[in-house]
Amino acid sequence: MLEIESLTAGYGGVPVLRDINVKLGVGEIVGLLGANNAGKTTLINSLSGTVRPISGRILFQGEDITAMPPRLRVERGIVQVPEGRLVFPDMSIRENLLLGGINSRARPHRRQQMDKVLELFPRLGERLSQNAGSLSGGEQQMLAIGRGLMAEARVLMLDEPSLGLSPLFVQYIFEIIDRLHAEGLTILLVEQNLNLTLRHAQRCYVLERGQIAVEGVADAVRDDPRTKSAYLGL
Amino acid sequence: MRGEFYKTLSSPIWWGVLAVAATLPFMLSSYYLHILTLSLVYVALASSWNIVGGMAGQISLAHSLFIGIGAMLSSAMLLKLGINMWLGLLISALISGALGVAIAWIDFRFQLGHLSFVLITLAFAEMGSIIVEGWDFLGGASGLLLPKDTGNFLAFQFGGGDGAFWMMLALAAICVLVNVAILNSPLGYYLRTIRDNEKAAQAIGVDILRYKITAMAISAVLASVVGTAYVRYLTFADPYLLISPVITIEIVLFATVGGLGRAYGPALGALLLVPLGEVLRGKLGSTLPGLHYFIYGIVVIGVILVTPRGLLPLFEGLWRRWREAR
Amino acid sequence: MSELYQALAQGLLIGSSYGLLALGMGLVYGVSGVVNFSHGDFISLGMFMCLALYSALSLDPYVSVIITVPVMTAIGALVYLFLIRPMVGHQFLMVVQLTLGLSLVLQNGILMVFGGQPARTPSVVESKLLLLGDVVLRVPHLIAFAVSFVLAGGLYVMLRSTDFGRSIRAVHQNAHAAALMGIDVGRVQVMTFALGIGILALAATLLLPGTPIQPTQGLRYTVITLLVVVLGGMTNFVGIMLGGLVIGIAEAFGTIYLEGPLGLLMPYLIFVLIMLFRPQGLTWSSSR
Repeated sequence: MLEIESLTAGYGGVPVLRDINVKLGVGEIVGLLGANNAGKTTLINSLSGTVRPISGRILFQGEDITAMPPRLRVERGIVQVPEGRLVFPDMSIRENLLLGGINSRARPHRRQQMDKVLELFPRLGERLSQNAGSLSGGEQQMLAIGRGLMAEARVLMLDEPSLGLSPLFVQYIFEIIDRLHAEGLTILLVEQNLNLTLRHAQRCYVLERGQIAVEGVADAVRDDPRTKSAYLGL
Repeated sequence: MRGEFYKTLSSPIWWGVLAVAATLPFMLSSYYLHILTLSLVYVALASSWNIVGGMAGQISLAHSLFIGIGAMLSSAMLLKLGINMWLGLLISALISGALGVAIAWIDFRFQLGHLSFVLITLAFAEMGSIIVEGWDFLGGASGLLLPKDTGNFLAFQFGGGDGAFWMMLALAAICVLVNVAILNSPLGYYLRTIRDNEKAAQAIGVDILRYKITAMAISAVLASVVGTAYVRYLTFADPYLLISPVITIEIVLFATVGGLGRAYGPALGALLLVPLGEVLRGKLGSTLPGLHYFIYGIVVIGVILVTPRGLLPLFEGLWRRWREAR
Repeated sequence: MSELYQALAQGLLIGSSYGLLALGMGLVYGVSGVVNFSHGDFISLGMFMCLALYSALSLDPYVSVIITVPVMTAIGALVYLFLIRPMVGHQFLMVVQLTLGLSLVLQNGILMVFGGQPARTPSVVESKLLLLGDVVLRVPHLIAFAVSFVLAGGLYVMLRSTDFGRSIRAVHQNAHAAALMGIDVGRVQVMTFALGIGILALAATLLLPGTPIQPTQGLRYTVITLLVVVLGGMTNFVGIMLGGLVIGIAEAFGTIYLEGPLGLLMPYLIFVLIMLFRPQGLTWSSSR
């Protein structure tokens, strides 16, 4: 469904990612692992279109989207749930969700989609008019995922959903992720947390200093000694 | 770091340029010499502002106060109190310095945001302008006419176009050198940290107050001295020129377009834009009112669109590419 | 005592328009990070357009709005696309210098076309007065007051309840996240700038009747708008409207009670006092 070919990307001409090759099949959960600053966020932003590639190609359902602006990618269903839960702090939960569904494909059925999202996250429904900036970390993460779902994603890319959350919340979030996957959603999971990701993802890539160090099915990646060294910088 | 400064001081290029420049009065007509002299005044003024606005990142619009004090106060003291203009220069410089320190202190004490600081310094500048225009001692709205320049250096006179040119050349060189000195000294380093991230600088223990005050004091004193020299050159102390906020806006334009925070940036900006403005005014000023400024504005917009990082980086880039091509 | 009420009334009436002017600037700043120092000269442009339309077609300024607002909005979009957008990412002060260059162009362009003599644009309501006790209220000021508040209210509703308004707030609060929602950040920026200029066209009409206009007045409006915007905390809707009223009242008190140029200092003084002792300006809660 989503293919990255020989991607080199970075900021201001300085490459952060070098010659990346990643494949995401329909209905898969794929994990993207790596230590801090390995390039995970740059990769996910390249997929979203907010980072321009220096060279290489990105294909979505066979279509070359390398030069496509973020707006059109969202309309095709490539949706990112960003790191740090970049919710809009001075807007209510309801407004955040409404914004999630602002793209032209999702907008017609925003109301129904919002009902579905609130069913998934009843906690959010209880505080619809509360400002997002005053929510707890876990609630903000729920809001971010809910917001991402409002866009009617075909591929959902989550950037470190477990960051800064209590174990209970993390479990809750990942139950939701599993549920979404069971319903057929293709998911790219970008995470620092090795064990958590290996438990939920089918295949994994490990990024080290801007390049793919290890790739394969979850078990193989777990047992691969290069994985540990990529994290520990050995 | 200090080495850079001494390298400049002993650089043959520097002295060569100065020497060549010094011969210009013998080669140029008085009209072009006047334009060049004017440019040098603004080189000096823009360079003095650069210390506070470019290096420390404090966009102060109060500069007209220092220039105005240097010009109007020394003129008033000469005409109304018979005080020698050299002494007037000194007194004005001290007062300007003190005022600058006060403004810097206010900035620090009240933790002013950048735009707040801009507007508050503008407020002071407007107040200063109104005070001078309403105070007869300082010439009121009609200004002051200085005695004719007969070349008596002890009375702070330059003796006409040539002498004035050399005086401004010296002042401009001094102001630029001060820029070079500061940039290559610990002061310059601290000012840059304040400019780039004041909170972080404070967190690592940089004495913000001391450096802001130092920068402002140096800047104010230089501006005041140039102001005194400028008014002597013009012979007429016009409050609408010398203490109006407009002069600060011009200076900031030169410093920014030339290259903010760089030693030679403001000089470049002034040397390009002042002659442009004067030539435009000369050629078009009497045809249709406003035409010369209209074109000047278009040129400024064009220059900025073409070199958004400033003229100095542009020239450096060209220089580098020329050297690589050899 | 009636002087006091007169000053207060006048200040409130004009201040509402100042607030409106500042809202335009605040919106643009929040969305593009740009402070347009030719803001006042666009107001000038709007006013002189009304003058031209009056001279050519005998149109009352209140009617000219129909033409000036769309025209100025289009001009705003063009200015943003060709002059401001290329400067995205560059030094703030450099962008400011560009807008100052634009200010020179506008001011002197107007000077070249209309000459430097103060001119008046007659309007049907120009000399009508309303008497409230001892206080004389001029009808143009009342119209300005009413329209400004209605427009500010409309803006508020737009920002709160429409998708476009939400996009604007989203881009202001987090442009990156907004892009991830599929919002065309670039388009929002152009439209916000154009909207800001369009508002200026309207404000020009409101401020015009009864006021002699000159090409050089732009700077004065720019400074007043800056004072109001900074007082209002740059992007705080209520703060800015409040700031407008404060500056309006300060100016009115200054001109009525103090002589000549000293009166013009009042807004500055009030500004300095407020910002020194309350650096966050007139903002209370974070409402946007």
